Amino acid sequence: MEESTYKMSDYIEQIKQAVVDAKHKDIEELVKRAIDEKTDLDMIVNNALISAMDIVGMKFSDNEIFVPEMLASAVTMKKALGIIKPLLTRKDAKSRGTIMIGTVKGDLHDIGKNLVIMMLEGAGFRIIDLGVDLSAERAVAAVAEFKPDILGLSALLTTTLPAMEEVIKILKTKGLRDSVKVMVGGAPVDLKFAQKIGADGYGKDAAEAVQLAKTLLTQN
Amino acid sequence: MKSTSYNLVMSALYNGTKGSRPPAGNPTSVVCHGLMDLAGISFPEAHLDPHAMAELALAGHEIIGFDTVMPEYSVHQEAAALGCNVDWGNKDCMPDSRNFPYEDFSDVEVPENLLEKPSMRVVLDALSILRRHVGGKVAIIGKVMGPWTIAYHMAGTQNLLLRIGLGEEDKVIKMLRQLMPVSIAFAKAQFRAGADIVVLADHATGNLVGSYHYKELLLPIHQEMTSTIEGPLILHVCGNCLDRLELFADAGFDAYHFEWQVDAKVAVERVGHRMCLVGNVNNAQVLYQGAPDDVYRQVRYAVEAGVNIIAPECAVPLATPLENLKALVTAVHEGY
Repeated sequence: MEESTYKMSDYIEQIKQAVVDAKHKDIEELVKRAIDEKTDLDMIVNNALISAMDIVGMKFSDNEIFVPEMLASAVTMKKALGIIKPLLTRKDAKSRGTIMIGTVKGDLHDIGKNLVIMMLEGAGFRIIDLGVDLSAERAVAAVAEFKPDILGLSALLTTTLPAMEEVIKILKTKGLRDSVKVMVGGAPVDLKFAQKIGADGYGKDAAEAVQLAKTLLTQN
Repeated sequence: MKSTSYNLVMSALYNGTKGSRPPAGNPTSVVCHGLMDLAGISFPEAHLDPHAMAELALAGHEIIGFDTVMPEYSVHQEAAALGCNVDWGNKDCMPDSRNFPYEDFSDVEVPENLLEKPSMRVVLDALSILRRHVGGKVAIIGKVMGPWTIAYHMAGTQNLLLRIGLGEEDKVIKMLRQLMPVSIAFAKAQFRAGADIVVLADHATGNLVGSYHYKELLLPIHQEMTSTIEGPLILHVCGNCLDRLELFADAGFDAYHFEWQVDAKVAVERVGHRMCLVGNVNNAQVLYQGAPDDVYRQVRYAVEAGVNIIAPECAVPLATPLENLKALVTAVHEGY
């Protein structure tokens, strides 16, 4: 018993470290071995993968690492999840909530949005990616259809800032504003702007977006 | 020294004799809707036709009052010449690439007639037109993308950064080395065509990569470039680059064009004795969303800090009010 407990925590630690260090070539083998040795899947997801992405997010916020390392850790985590996901039962596969996210109309930049998606997935959220150049009408129609907990809007170009405001306006007109939390982010966005357009929150980077999503959903 | 636009800029570039006031410069685009309307020239015409390109650049001097003219408004000239499918946009939309021709990091094929490709020729012809019109009176600035930025267009930004994260730096370095001659050839041709200064924009920004990435992957290439290109070079890198200011000076650039995120006083203290500083009036909050008073305060802060050439931090948003750009020039005209 003691030996298996030791082994399990050992694997959890190794997988966590492999994601933090982006050992993308070794991760699948490591996760398979851990599963073969009866390591709890839920533990791998929560205590190894999600914890690892928390560490990655903190290191990114502290400027210890940058986008290349963060992308590589996210790719490593995805490889691990690819092995675990088919094995999870419906009960195990519960998500923290559903987040729908897109880059607003007129903006084709998706690297920031993609980073936020990777971090949110790593943190256990279900993601619906609405892509780039997202019109207010398409965003609002998607909210009506899929009823996400949060709608995330991203922009890199200053010129596309008004498009964020437009989405919130139409959500209000259609009577959907209270059904969904709206969070915004991207290089030209700041807290003042988020408040001005009536968003529920603003994250300055991908790590902050994860914290914000968690906070917004505990407010429900 | 006579305080002409040209003299003020060139002297400030080398921290020389100060005239009656600091110069107002635009190493990146100052085109906004108001300027396009007054000049009667719009995008995409001004990306594609040398006369329209030059005339719009001239409007930045004649209508707003900048001491420089800079005729390249996009970051896609080299990308188009190297096979990217570029959508040249419209009055409300800047150009963008629709594909990444070297996503697989295969060898980049640089065409033999690179400088004759329409997207390159147009800039060279516009610079010659400007030379004939305002040579010696206004400082003429050319612009080239560095290999790092061109590589974003060739392979895709996320793809390029991921390769670095996955430890495949050799692929990235190979691509940068293949693209370096493109930037060098375009910069040299721009000087021959009539540019007094060339901006080298290479977006190894603080928001994407660390100073250690810059030092390992790009600094040696920048050092080679600055020693090969003889004319004055301004480096433009957006984002918060506080952690790599000294590295930019080590690279041998004559000037650095920087953002508001880097405090002007800190920049001057750290590298002001080694290179000219150009900037750093905030675009998003001040020039685009702010009032002329906000612009005034930032300009005066930068002047008092010792920034040599006062400029918007980057290409201004197209919806920037013209009066805010004029406020920048007015504040500069108050002198030191």
